[in-house]
Order: sequence, then C-alpha cells, then structure tokens
Amino acid sequence: MRSFSGRGWTASLICLSVVVAACAQGGGSSGPPLAGCKSGTTLATFWTSHTPPDSDSLKHVVDTYNGQSSVGCVKMVQVPGSETDVTKLMTAVRGGSGPDVYMLDRFTVAERAAAGVLTDLTKYGAGNLSSKYVDFAWKEATFQGKPYALPLDTDVRALWYRKDLLKAAGVDITPLDAANGPVTIDTVRTMANKVNHQDASGAYDVIGFVPWVDQGWHYTWGFDFGGSFFDSGSCKVTPTDPKIVQAFTTMFGDWAKALGPEKAQTWVSSFLPPNNPPQQWPFLTGKTAFIITGDWPLNWVKQYKPDLQYGVTYIPIPKTGDTPSTWAGGWSLVIPTGAKHADAGYDFMKYLAGPDGMKTYVTETQHLPTWKSLGSDASLYQGDHTFFATKLLPVAKSRPPIPVGAFYWDQLSTAQDAVVRGSATADKALADVATNTNAKLQQFCPLK
Amino acid sequence: MIAVPRLRLDKKDRQSLLVALPFVGPWVIGFLAFTAYPIYYSFTISFTRYSGFGDATNIGFTNYEHMYHDVLFWKSMYNTLYYVALAVPVGLVIAIALGLAMNQKVREVAIYRAAIYAPSILPIYALTFIFIVLLNPRFGVLNYAIVTLGGPSINWLGDPAWTKVSVVILAQLGAGGPALIFLAAIRGIPSELYESAALDGAGAIRRFYHITLPLLTPVILYDLILGLILGLQIFTPAYVLTQGGAGAGAGQYVAGPDNSLMFYVLYLYKTAFQFTDMGYASALATVLFLVSVVLALAIMRTSRSWVHYEVT
Repeated sequence: MRSFSGRGWTASLICLSVVVAACAQGGGSSGPPLAGCKSGTTLATFWTSHTPPDSDSLKHVVDTYNGQSSVGCVKMVQVPGSETDVTKLMTAVRGGSGPDVYMLDRFTVAERAAAGVLTDLTKYGAGNLSSKYVDFAWKEATFQGKPYALPLDTDVRALWYRKDLLKAAGVDITPLDAANGPVTIDTVRTMANKVNHQDASGAYDVIGFVPWVDQGWHYTWGFDFGGSFFDSGSCKVTPTDPKIVQAFTTMFGDWAKALGPEKAQTWVSSFLPPNNPPQQWPFLTGKTAFIITGDWPLNWVKQYKPDLQYGVTYIPIPKTGDTPSTWAGGWSLVIPTGAKHADAGYDFMKYLAGPDGMKTYVTETQHLPTWKSLGSDASLYQGDHTFFATKLLPVAKSRPPIPVGAFYWDQLSTAQDAVVRGSATADKALADVATNTNAKLQQFCPLK
Repeated sequence: MIAVPRLRLDKKDRQSLLVALPFVGPWVIGFLAFTAYPIYYSFTISFTRYSGFGDATNIGFTNYEHMYHDVLFWKSMYNTLYYVALAVPVGLVIAIALGLAMNQKVREVAIYRAAIYAPSILPIYALTFIFIVLLNPRFGVLNYAIVTLGGPSINWLGDPAWTKVSVVILAQLGAGGPALIFLAAIRGIPSELYESAALDGAGAIRRFYHITLPLLTPVILYDLILGLILGLQIFTPAYVLTQGGAGAGAGQYVAGPDNSLMFYVLYLYKTAFQFTDMGYASALATVLFLVSVVLALAIMRTSRSWVHYEVT
C-alpha cells in the first residue's frame, strides 16, 4: 500500500478548511433566510393545500409579511390535501418534518386537536384574540376550551338562479329578487319544473334544480328546516332530529323520486363528473337553472362567463314566514405538533389571520372575513359579494365543532346518498348515522 | 420429537458466509426495518386506540370486535372481493389474448406490441382522469359506441351496479405488462410440439388448449397470485374517482354511489388519515394481510393439480 504522501495531506487540509469555512458561513450568518426577508429573521414553513387563485393571494400576503417582519421569514409550500384529507401533514409531523404553520379546514380543528396533531395556542396568548373573531369561527378554532387555531376566511351558501333560463321557460323571476326576502321551496319547485328538459332519448339535458348537488348538503337542508345536529348537553349527535329527517325526506327522497332517481343521477354523472373543472360547472354551462352554492363561484363567473345572467338569493325556506338560513365553513391556521419554529410561525399566523393579512386575502379571493371589524368594511365587497357578507354571514350557522367531525360528515353523506337513490328511508339512514357517530364520539365526552 | 441436526460450518463455509453477508446484508436490514418491523408494529397497535400521536391506549380485541359490527368493513371487503373476482380472471384472459396477438408473425408486429404495451407505462392516476371522460354517460366514447350498436346508455360512475365494472375495465389498460410476460412464455414453448400436433391433425384451437395453455400454467399461476395481491390492494382509481373519498364530490358521494367504490384499502386509508384512528386501521391491515395469505395459499394449493412445469 502506498504511504499517505505530502500532496495527500495538503489536499485533505484544503478540503477540511473548505468544510469549516462553509459551516462557519452557515452557522454565523445574519443574512435573510430567504430573498425578500429581513436579516435576523427566523425561517418558518407554511403549508397550504389551496390552489390558484387562492394560493396566489396567500403568496401575496406571505411576501408582504416577509418584507416587513423582523421576527419571521415565511416559506410557503403547496402540498396535497383537501378539507378532510391531511395525510401529508400527519405523516410529516409524525416523521418530524412537519411545517410550522398549516392551513386547516376549520371544522376539523377539534378532530385534529383531539388526535394530538395540533399545538395548544394558549401559551401564545391566542385566547386574548377571541373577541376579535366572529363567534362561530372562534368556537370552531377551539377544543375543550383551548385555542388550537386562528380563524381565517369563511364562506356562506345561497341559492343561485339563471335569469335567462327561467325567463325562457316563462317563469316570472320577480319573487326571486333577494330584496323580496326568501321564497319557499314549493315556489322554487314550481319554477324549476318548468325548466326541466329531456332529449330524444329521455335523458335530462337541463334540470331546473337538483337540491343535493354542489353545496346542497345534509347540513344545508338540515339547518334550513330548523334542525340541530348536535346536543352539547348530552354530548351526542342528533341527526334523527325530526326536522332533519323532514329535510332529508323532502329535499332528497321526494325530490329525487319526482325527477326519477336514475335519470337525475345520470344528469349528475354527465354534467358534474368527478373532478369537474369550474369552467364546466353546470350552472355556467346552462344545464341547471338553480343551484345551492357558496360565494366562491363569483370568481368563476368573473373569469369564465362575465356576461352570465344570474341572481343570488336566500336558500328557499320550507314555508312562508320561516327564517332563512345558511351555514358557514372556512379555513384556519394552526401550528402542528413538533413545529421547529413555532414562535415565528405564530407571528405569521397573527398577521395572516389578523386585519391586514385577512383584508388582502378576502379582497383578492372574494372570500368572507372572520375578523369582526372587517365584516362591516363595505370597501371589501362588490356586487353580489355584498349580499353574502351583509345579509347571509350575520345569520349563518356552522357545523358542530366535534372531534369526530369528518366521520360525522361522511356518515351524513352516506345517508344522503341512500335517501336520494331511494335505498333507505330518511329515518333509517339517519338512525344509522346517530348510532355509528355516537359510538365514536363517546370516548371524547364530555366536551367543554 | 425429531432432533434437528445442528448446522455445522467448516472453515470454507464460514469464509463464504463472510463474503455473502455484505451482499445480502443491506437487503436483510431493509426487509427487517421497512417490512418486518412495520408489520409487527402495525399488529401491536391494532390492539390499541391510537391516533398516531401521543400514547396508545390498550383496548384488547375491541378493534376486531368493532369490525364485526362495522357496516363499512363488510361493504369494503365485499367491494374488494367482487373486484378481485371479476378483475383477475378478466385480466388473465385479456393478457393471454394480447400475448397471443403479439406473437403473430406479421411484419408490423413490433408496432402492435408497442401500441398494446403503451398504456401500461402511463400512471394509473393519469389513466383514471382520462377514463372519467371516456365513461361520461352523455359524452363518453364508450357509451357512444354502445348506444350506436343498439345497447343502453350506462351510467358507469353513477350507478352502483356499474362502478366496479368501470374500474375493472380501467384496469385492463394495464394489461400490456402481463401480456409481455405471456408473450415470452409463449415464445418459450418448443415449436416441434406444435409441428407434431399439426402432423397428427390438431387444429389451432386444439393446439391452444392442449399445448399452449398447459405450458402457460406456471405463468398463469404467477399472474393469478400477483393479480390477487394487487387486486386486494386496489386504491388509486377509487381514490381519484371519489376525490379522495373525502365526501366532497359534486355528486355528493363519499366513495361512489352506495359506497360502491369503497375498496378495502381506501377505507383503511380514510380510517387512518381522515378519522385519525390508527389502531382500527392497523386491525384492518392485519385482516387484509390474513385474507391475502389465505387466498394466495389456496391458489398455491390448488395449483398442484393444474400447473404443469414440464412437458410430459
């Protein structure tokens, strides 16, 4: 074997000095962690599953924060996920490589907190912000009386109608003007039936109203009929509330039977297939005259069919004199368990979920704010957005913030599907929901 | 009791072992760390209530007892076995047919082989998106062909009677892979067998049933076992078609109409990552493992009577 030569020693020393210099550079630098950040700030990672245009707006807020913060420097990363699917977050947190801030569907905060995925924000003083947010949003952000999230945006549901289709079918659309208050379900049914059209094969090419698609969920109609989905006193879900049973029977079972369940489902499969892009939303393409949806399609209309002749009004009520209803969802910001730069992360959360960040976000995305004082800021809303913000948001209900929220949602959706297809009565389907969900819920009771 | 003779290694054996260990060591370590230990760990937490975070609570056999009463467990098991029972034989027949087609002595055979194999290299995720368009009841090319031929219009993804059939059809786009294996096996059959059979007056069909098929049985066995294991783990098409089984589809299904696309692994995935119930998900995984082993062993056992490894 050859001996280690003098040239070898020299080469080794050069290598060593390069490594030492690199380490010194990395460890002792006070430069900004990212371009656009201030020197001396701490790098925090922010994950969101949102896609454009919402993620574009989030990036604007991140850039603004980075330019002015002397605490944190945020790197935003888009990750796979959805409202209830947080697989990426869970595996990363478990593997010790989770983000410092995560954007989480607010109605699942209690569920994720109960599972131990989230950090209690009490030590950051988050509890002091409770009065700044609308009540339902703050309730959703807590679990067992402790704050685990800061609420971000919200959304509410309404009845959208196509003026051109209804007029072409000979319908007088005056009663639908929101200024006249809510119309009854019977009124909408009569109008919708005039629009129904079948092609030569007998298949629907246009349906006036399919109440169970888009945002026509169990919660939508359950709330509309005055139902209550959870009893905090007994710590039990209450899907068998007679008003919810009535809602399922009227809006899913009876409505589907009148249209023909198979024919209606063929229309759904044709015009609302899985992963349907917004450009092909059947309300835009003229395949339905009524649809229950939120405020976010306002952006789709602007982008894909700015000349659309449409209107927005209250969700139709069961009978004259009933109070109109809607429900609000939305997102929140959380610090996952084991976050390495939680302090910097919380500083960013306060900004994005505070008045400045939220104002930018809701203005650019046409979402609604949960920061109370922004709710009355008329400059944030244009056109139909004003109706959502001023008429619907103040009366909106929300889903019960329980630690089995995603499971309960799935159970209700299964029941809804069964009633629509006529394979189960509303009573039977909802009784199963109660049995299955309460069995899962009991381990977390009592809830504060 | 039979005494097991102690393994005696002489000096040469020990030297060989020392040489072999560095080569097989990484694989053994990888197997122990990433397969054997996770299976053991999953099995142990199947007796707990565990979210994946914090401490696990021992609950004995509660997860297994719950399974018995869990409608979705039975539903997902039924859906999966239904799929396997349909997809594996159909896939086998199509793969053999394609293998035979690719073996034809025509000049452009290379082009045909490439065309048949091409869909197999596309990710199933992308194929599923394409398939959604092809299966549209109004605008899809499949229904267009069926209706043109006088058949009924089928709501492939909206009718629970057809959803699993749709996934079976989708799976056939990947038949090019096994077809190549069958092609190799067909080409490995000695040509003199066919020649002597032809001299004896055997026609093409008789030659296929009495020469080709028996000599393909080892590959058929391999394809059956592989198809069974992959079929029991069917996930991606259902995940895409149901938008993650998140209950957020525009058609308001959780996992297809009547949960007809709630395959076992999709349910396991939802239980683990959407309902954060790792204990129950692990119990589901244990049962799937046992079902896979039992079915694979059953096929292996019956194979003695129908697999021919040699020409006799």
